[in-house]
Amino acid sequence: MKDISLGQFYPADSFTHKMDPRAKLVLVVAFIVMAFLAKNFLSYFAVMLCVISATLVSRIPILKVLKSIKAIIFILIFTGILNLLFYNGETVLWSWWQIKITVEGIIFSLKMVLRLVLLVMGTTLLTYTTTPTAITDGMESLMHPLKYIKVPVHDIAVIMSIALRFIPIISEEVDKIMMAQKARGAAFDNGGLLKRAKALLPVLIPLFVSAFRRADELALALDARCYNATPNRTRYKQMKFSLRDVLGVLGTAAFIVLVVALNNNFWGAYEPVASVWWLFSV
Amino acid sequence: MRIEVKELGFVYSPKSPFEKVALDDITFTVNEGDTLGIVGSTGSGKSTLCRHFNALIRVQRGEITVGEIRLHAKKVDLKTLRKNVGMLFQFPEYQLFADTVKKDVEFGPLNFGFSAEEADAAAREALELVGLDFDEVASKSPFELSGGQMRRAAIAGVLASRPSVLVLDEPTAGLDPRGKREILELVTALKAGVTGTVIIISHNMDEIAEFCNRVVVLENGKLLADTTPDELFNRSDIVERTELDYPHTVKIKRLLAEKGVFIDSSALNADELSAAIAGRFKA
Ligand SMILES: Nc1ncnc2c1ncn2[C@@H]1O[C@H](COP(=O)(O)OP(=O)(O)O)[C@@H](O)[C@H]1O
Ligand SMILES: [Mg+2]
Repeated sequence: MKDISLGQFYPADSFTHKMDPRAKLVLVVAFIVMAFLAKNFLSYFAVMLCVISATLVSRIPILKVLKSIKAIIFILIFTGILNLLFYNGETVLWSWWQIKITVEGIIFSLKMVLRLVLLVMGTTLLTYTTTPTAITDGMESLMHPLKYIKVPVHDIAVIMSIALRFIPIISEEVDKIMMAQKARGAAFDNGGLLKRAKALLPVLIPLFVSAFRRADELALALDARCYNATPNRTRYKQMKFSLRDVLGVLGTAAFIVLVVALNNNFWGAYEPVASVWWLFSV
Repeated sequence: MRIEVKELGFVYSPKSPFEKVALDDITFTVNEGDTLGIVGSTGSGKSTLCRHFNALIRVQRGEITVGEIRLHAKKVDLKTLRKNVGMLFQFPEYQLFADTVKKDVEFGPLNFGFSAEEADAAAREALELVGLDFDEVASKSPFELSGGQMRRAAIAGVLASRPSVLVLDEPTAGLDPRGKREILELVTALKAGVTGTVIIISHNMDEIAEFCNRVVVLENGKLLADTTPDELFNRSDIVERTELDYPHTVKIKRLLAEKGVFIDSSALNADELSAAIAGRFKA
């Protein structure tokens, strides 16, 4: 129950948890760019280093972050196999009909899979360290300029935060109604698809009834307190850009520079050893 | 039906940052015919404990036996168990869903394998029991009923399966005094008939004092006392520690004692106490 209410949020007292959500949102975008910039294995390695150090400063068990990969495991397998079989490379290792496995294909599909894994790990860190509410607030603040082209940013944000606020309540409600119906002998987990769908009716109907009742009550409560979505509302929790955020931005920037430098073999600034040289080239 | 709870432990979201020990080493027995009160402050684990009795929560540690059914076994016959252990939640009217009151009340019996005629008879009986006129409400939509009628219809939906144990989780919270009275009188009427054993979670000590013959006190998931209401209200250490209250009858006896009028009676219900007081002044 609580798991749903906080999304994937993983509470801890860390550097990243305390960062401004706006900074984290920007950094995640920067990270995605970084992951797409990476060209050779060494620069991929730099991106990986970036994710690992971010995980360490977030005080989140690395296994927890790795678990997020489970959600995209099929996409990974699919991407890997397709690229492996159909990449148009030169050094053919094995071929049959239209299909050939090449060294270049192996390298390319490895990179694609690695990129997806890194992307998921990096973005997961955002949801692990930031509550949904903080993410909404951060987005509202970042979208502020859109107001000038008449996008109702504040209304959207209020709708989003009310929706978020109601997720735990609704999920608790589902729990309660399901329990009450189970106590009356309802079974939700056997029978065919149709039977199961039908078994959900005794949950869905009371749920809708109560959702409408709640919406009504909420509207009444908002009206009673003369709520209107004025643009200049103040907040209880102020977001503040602090030294921590500057450090975060600098750190990420350093990794981006490193990735670009590795992509370009440090512009020939030094002579790498032979095996490392190979990694630069692929 | 006898319920035996042995060394029961329960943890919510184990091995996560949200881990919460809700029950710890609980042992007690509910005998056939008992009206057991479960008291304790909010969050002490009362609901978690009770949800074990019809396997809404599965046993993690320890053992529970309900009648012949062992809830800690790998396979539990949920149908038989839930037919026998009825559970009434707070705001039961929120579980109404069918298009007619009759169908809603028959939902439980039909799930438990009653035939159409048996279910019909059970619905009739249950609706009359809660004081609704079967012919009047049976074909109405439950959402057309008034608030009080909705609640009665929902209660009938639990009683229709003729449970031998009835568990009530704060049944009177949020009701006006008359509503409270009605529910408890219903429970008393039930006890005289089908339902042999009743378990009531309540914050209202008057209810506990009047209706229960036994009471268990929970504190932070631990069993603090397993006793009778009479004894419990003599144990000021427990009552004060768990921030329970005293029933009005006990308060009145104490106030009288302060004025030098000692009532030598363990009466916890209003009628008996007033009789005892009257007797004292007659003498
Ligand atoms: N679904 C749940 N997930 C996590 N913790 C829960 C859940 N339900 C109850 N708890 C916690 O377990 C403890 C006992 O709760 P509960 O049995 O509902 O107590 P009571 O009914 O005595 O108020 C509380 O601290 C509560 O926060
Ligand atoms: Mg409770």
